[in-house]
Formats: sequence, C-alpha cells, structure tokens
Amino acid sequence: MEAAVLVIISPLLTAFFLGISRLYVKKIFFPLVTGSAIIYLYLLILVITNSYPAKVYSIGDWGMLGINLMVDPFSSLFLLIIAILFLPFIIFSMKYTKFIKHDYFIFAYLMIAGISGMVLTADLFNLYVFLEVSSLSSCALSLQKKTDRGIEGTFKYLIMSTLGSFFILLATILTYYLTGTLNMAEIPLAFEDIPFKIKSTIMAFFVFGYALKIGLIPLHAWLPDAYEDSPIPYNVLSSGLVMKSALYALIRILYIMFGIDFLDESGMLTIVVFWGVITFLIAHCLAFQQSNLNRLLAYSSIAQIAYIMIGLFVGTEAGLIAGSFHILNHAIMKGALFLVVGIFNYSLTAVEIEDIKGLGYKFPIISFTFVVASLAIVGLPPFNGFMSKWLIVEAALEADFVYAAFFILVGTFLSLTYYLKVIVTLYTKTEEELLIEEPGLSLKLPTIFLGSLCIVFGIVPSLPLSLMNKIPKFLLDNGEYIRILLGG
Amino acid sequence: MEIPYVVVIILFCLGMYTIITKKNLIKIVIGFTIVESSLILLLMLVGYKPDGTAPILDKGYEIVVDPIPQALALTTIVIGGSVTAVMLAVVIKIHKRYRTLNIDEIRKLRG
Repeated sequence: MEAAVLVIISPLLTAFFLGISRLYVKKIFFPLVTGSAIIYLYLLILVITNSYPAKVYSIGDWGMLGINLMVDPFSSLFLLIIAILFLPFIIFSMKYTKFIKHDYFIFAYLMIAGISGMVLTADLFNLYVFLEVSSLSSCALSLQKKTDRGIEGTFKYLIMSTLGSFFILLATILTYYLTGTLNMAEIPLAFEDIPFKIKSTIMAFFVFGYALKIGLIPLHAWLPDAYEDSPIPYNVLSSGLVMKSALYALIRILYIMFGIDFLDESGMLTIVVFWGVITFLIAHCLAFQQSNLNRLLAYSSIAQIAYIMIGLFVGTEAGLIAGSFHILNHAIMKGALFLVVGIFNYSLTAVEIEDIKGLGYKFPIISFTFVVASLAIVGLPPFNGFMSKWLIVEAALEADFVYAAFFILVGTFLSLTYYLKVIVTLYTKTEEELLIEEPGLSLKLPTIFLGSLCIVFGIVPSLPLSLMNKIPKFLLDNGEYIRILLGG
Repeated sequence: MEIPYVVVIILFCLGMYTIITKKNLIKIVIGFTIVESSLILLLMLVGYKPDGTAPILDKGYEIVVDPIPQALALTTIVIGGSVTAVMLAVVIKIHKRYRTLNIDEIRKLRG
C-alpha cells in the first residue's frame, strides 16, 4: 500500500490497539506507543522525501468518483511539522502525564490521524470530517487534567469549535449545491460560472468558520481559556498543529477553490491583512497583562498566527514562502517554550510568572533554551524567528502593504516587553529554598532538541526553505494543482 | 419548492438564537442539535428531485435522487451525535463540580 495512505491509517490503528490494550493487556502499552511513533516518523519521512513532484493517490481505484489524496509541497510542510513535533511530544508526555495515560495517548493518536488526513485530502467534505476528528479529540485532550478551570475552558473550546464547524459545513453544502461536486479540482472549474455575490457569500462562511477555529481576535476568547489548565505537552501540538491545520484548510480552500484572482478582486487579501494587523496588536497588548505563563503563550500564539496570516495573504510568491516558513518556525519555537513551561510545571507545579523566579540558576540549560526560544519568537537575529519575520516584512513591503510592515516592527517591540518580563523574572535571584523534583532526561531531551532547531534553522535557513520554495507554484496558480489532481 | 428551504433557515436561526441567548448549558446543547438538524435537512434538500426514486441505476428508473448528499447526511449525523455526546459529557462533569447548570454561576475564567 502507498505510504501516504498509511500516514492516515497507522495512527488510527494505534489508537484502536491502545484501546484494546487498556482493557486486556496493559503491558504492551509502552512499546506500542513509542514503537508506532517511530514507525510513523519513518512513514512521514518517506512521504516528505517523495513529495516533489506532487502526487495523487486514488483510493480504491475509483478515479474522480472516489476520495483522492494529494501530496504537494504545502501539505508536506505540515507532515514535516508533525514529524518534528510528534516524537518529542510522545517522549515528553510519557514522563509528564500523571493522569490516565491510555486515554491521553488514544486521543493524541486520533488527533494526529485527523490532522494528517486534513493535510492530505483533496475532497471538501472529507476535509470537514477530518477537521471534526481532530478538533473533537483535541477537545478531549484539553479535558484530561480534569480540574475546574480545565473543564470550563474545554466547554468554551467545544462550543466555539462546533460553532465554527457548522459554518464550514454550511459553506460545504452550499458549494456542493452550486457545483455538484466535492472534488477540489472540479470545484474551481465549476465555480467560474457562479455569480460574484454568491461566491463571496460562500467565502464569507468559510472564512468565518475557520477564523473561529484559528482564533483571530474578536473570535479568540476560547483559546487562552482552553490552554490555561490543559496538559502542557498537548499545548505544543495544539498551537503547533491544530490551529495551523485550520489555517491550512483555509489557505487551501481560498487559494485553490476560489483562486488568487478572485481573492484580489473581492478585496479578501486586504481584509485579511488588516485583520491580521489588528489581531497581533491586540493580542500583544493582552499578552502583556497576563500573569499565567500558559495564557501568555496562548496570546502570543494568536499574535504569531496573525503574522502568518499576513505573510500568506499578501498574495505574492515571497509572502507565501515567508508565511510557510513562519508556520514551521512558530511550531518549533512555541513547542520549545511550552515544553520548558512543562518542565517547570512538572518540577515545582509552577504556572504563574512569579513561581519561576530564580529558576534560571537551578536549571541552567533549560532556562537557556527558554531564552533562545523566546528571543527567536520575538524576532532577534540569529534565530529562526528573525529570518521568517524579516521575510514577511519584506514581502509586505513588496506587495505595498506598508502599514503592515510598519506594525510588524511595532509588534516586535511589544512582544519583546512581555518576553523580557518573563526572562528577567527567570534570572532574578531569590533566597527561598525550593522543593524541586528533578526532571529526567526524557523531559530535557525533547526541549533541548526543539531549542537547538531554533538556532539551526536560524543559521541555515536554506535547509527548510528549499522545501518551501516550491509552495507558491501550487498555491498562486491553482491550474497546476487542478491539472495534477485531474490527471491522476 | 421554496417552503423547505424557509424551514431550514428558520431552524438554523432558531438554533443560533438558542445558543447565543440561553443561560442553561443543556439548552445550549439543544441549540447545537437544532442547528445540526437544519444542516442535515439542507443536505437532503440539495439531493432531492421531485418524483425521484432510490438511486439504483437500472432500467426503468429514469429520475433518481442524488445519492451523494444522502451519504454525506449519514456522516453528518454520526459527527453530530459524537459532538453532542462529548458536550453532554462535559456538562455532566460541570454539574458534578458546581451543582448548577446556570452559565453565570460557573464562570471562573474571564478574559
């Protein structure tokens, strides 16, 4: 069988066998989880290395009638993020989780299956189904700690995410009604005859639904609450993958189905860039007020997503490359930050900024990782965040969004203020003796791995950029995508 | 022909109204199921043809309804069922802790 099909199937199978092992054979739990994570990593690498030229997998040989899978550079970028984050996530959570481990890993594997399905599918309704799989299991994961705040945050998350899915479903049904097909290659061909106003309405439904899932500013209220008391390793995947996969779906729908010309004509590009600027300015201001580390990082995530939106929606080749690069970089940087917070939480149950006072001297390497990752996310050279932010600013200037470029620089200073606040607290000496549970190597290793990737991608940006240089070819011109999908 | 679509719009708006205005958690969940059933109804209407028969492609059946929306409707029902189940599970958890379903009394997280 093809590797791309196995990428979706194997986490589903693992989740199933984990459920069985919970009931009958508890001993195989550890080898099952780690073993399948390693096999999954191998499968992902196999698909990523074969991603260019783009390929279509026709499941069950139904041709255009069936549901096809498509691997192109943009989807392989997301597979790359899964490959980078998933094994550290598994290793970290093995040690970190003190609650029922089986449930946690079952939902984690289901979520990964949903995300990889979203990334690979070329069918509009299938996209919705996988979106629901990933967001429902994501809700279940954020519930795992079973604290008061966790449950409440999850309920908010569930409400908002379901509300978003309803609008996405409505738009999907209307698209089928108008075009009579759900294949992403046939829809743009059928869309050419549809009147401008009807197309705009459908696009508005899609954008509203996905903006709820991504958490752009007026629709963001659930996000910090859901992050506040959820298991911290889950936050790594949540900010690195769940939010991004909704963004992926939005980009794919807008660029492939509607096409860049329609986006330009309807003014969507201008609207989203403006929306992004507003979002990150407000999110930076809100992040400054937070005293809880998780909430601070959550608001910072919203702001970074807004940068990515600006990069992807300036509508030029440079913008798409910059935005995709920032997707990868943000996943790595935020992953490193959350894992450091996770170690602090594990060792001395710290969640507030006050709690981490003086820890910089107790955990020298871990705190250094935190400093590296936070300076990278602020956008200082020579880290990876600087590279992608610089590319976004350049792309915005090139596409005549001068105000966006200016406010990104302002936003950099705003984010510097609150990250410096945390760093200064981290390195403030205190007299109190702290009871510290020593974090083992299995907690430190994933953190240091992600932290060192920040430096590596900052010094050698050509490494990931060689993959991303091919992305605009498939997104800016939807003809290429359609030709490959119809040809397969 | 237009009346079913009007019903869909009414159901959708009714559900949204319930979700936005009601204070009781159970009523909010009911609002979600109403919106979901309106979307399923819309799916059925999309595939409907007057005098259409079951989609069996054989001699003698000339007008058949579109089978794809029916398959989609089944999937949507399953997804809706699981969403409702997860929501109710969370509501049970909330009720066990706070002994109330009023949304104003359980709000600890603000902003």
